[in-house]
Amino acid sequence: MSLRVASLAFAGAAVVAASAAHADGDKALGQFLSSECVTCHQIAGRYEGIPTIVGWPKPVFIEIMGEYRAQKRANPIMQTIAVRLTEEEIAALAAYFGSLQPAN
Amino acid sequence: MTSSNRREFLTQAAALIAASGLPVPALAQAKPKLVVVGGGPGGATIAKYVARDSNGAVEVTLVEPLRQFITCFHSNLYLGGFRGWESMLHSYDALASKYGVKLVHQAAQAIDRDKKSVRLADGTQLAYDRLVVAPGIDLKFESVPGYSEAAAQIMPHAWKPGPQTQLLKRQLDAVEDGGVIVMVAPPNPYRCPPGPYERVSMMAHVLKAKGHRNSRIIVLDPKDTFSKQGLFQEGWEKHYPGMVEWQDPKMHGGIKPVDASAMTVDTDLANYKPALINVIPAQMAGKIARDAGLANQTGYCPIDPASMKSANDPNIYVVGDACIAGDMPKSAFSANSQAKVAALMLRGELIQAQIFPARYTNTCWSLIETDDTVKVGGRYEPKEGKIAAVETFVSKTGENAELRRQTQAENMGWYAGITADIFS
Repeated sequence: MSLRVASLAFAGAAVVAASAAHADGDKALGQFLSSECVTCHQIAGRYEGIPTIVGWPKPVFIEIMGEYRAQKRANPIMQTIAVRLTEEEIAALAAYFGSLQPAN
Repeated sequence: MTSSNRREFLTQAAALIAASGLPVPALAQAKPKLVVVGGGPGGATIAKYVARDSNGAVEVTLVEPLRQFITCFHSNLYLGGFRGWESMLHSYDALASKYGVKLVHQAAQAIDRDKKSVRLADGTQLAYDRLVVAPGIDLKFESVPGYSEAAAQIMPHAWKPGPQTQLLKRQLDAVEDGGVIVMVAPPNPYRCPPGPYERVSMMAHVLKAKGHRNSRIIVLDPKDTFSKQGLFQEGWEKHYPGMVEWQDPKMHGGIKPVDASAMTVDTDLANYKPALINVIPAQMAGKIARDAGLANQTGYCPIDPASMKSANDPNIYVVGDACIAGDMPKSAFSANSQAKVAALMLRGELIQAQIFPARYTNTCWSLIETDDTVKVGGRYEPKEGKIAAVETFVSKTGENAELRRQTQAENMGWYAGITADIFS
């Protein structure tokens, strides 16, 4: 192909999409970050030994992640993951997982 | 970018190109091709994530001879009776039906890097724009003198899941009280660093559960230390006193050739005629990766730690046990984590998706005895030319029973989670 041609076309079209870029970026980042979580926390919201994290109110998600970052909650896996995330990233994850509903 | 955005872009691009006189059909047919060789936690995760997140903009083909994947992770729990065989089998159907991954149930035989093509067992050539090579490990049978693929039918390695795992289980269940089990442990680097020692724990669990008082498990190790050593040794002493004897090279003095027909293992220290011999030889990247020139002198494949791209070919990514992942251990969790980075970078290359800096995680749980599980893990980032550990953690000796019980619940939850992440 023409990956090169497509790239040029994309560069041109990028202007059109500029207004949506920020929101899309947040969504793309949230999607990538969430992939780390769903190795253990099932995206379908099923509990089989590891707590579900889908459908939580955003403030609850942010508060609990903050507690892991501050090492007020004990699990070392979650402490390790939470400390790497910025506040913006945690907010993006809270929004992403908050928008999902457990599958029936 | 969303699929509707992408469609808009392509429509506009097509209009531009039509106006310029370039051939439009070239763009219409320009769906980039991703071929993934190997349907384990690395390869299958990439296939799913690229197919799902590109909304059909990438043609994803997964080449894997097995119709059902058998997890090597948790196969020790099967040996210990904590998990049924059927629970370790996973279908690829959802990858095709939900995400549009094209499944090719054949062995990939060779990679032609110049022609960007993979030859299958039936002779078909699969062209690719990008290729993922995730074949897992091959065993270096000859690394243990006297050992061979044929000898493995008598002295199983059970380090690749399948009939070997079931053979070892049958042999373990048949050991009578007073029997000796010898494990020849592997040298670094190998798949699943705590795996041999979790396996020893599961063997001891089975013997203890059968009421054995005189059976013994002897581990002949080519290494001076091993993963979670203090935790395992504490657990063996607590749950299986006197049953497990781990010998480092200073103790056994060297392992002499094993003899499958006589069922003997000799060392400088002693001669053994065990009821069961489990030989776990040294390992290397799967053959197809080595044959394609993707491995270096270590037998494993060097990669760019920022992308998981092969250091030897810009059109190929290598993930999982076959790659050299720096400080990350060879584990299913690592492979799955690497796959997510590779999937992102592949979408960036193939359909100009937005990319972000690579970040990796791993956790390995090990069951020592019922409700007594420990873990080790960390987070990793590309740093100074390798995937480097940024922060690590490990369970502590002397932890209370409730924490260990919770860690086992987490272990089971992780298995359900990662298999859902890969296969559903």
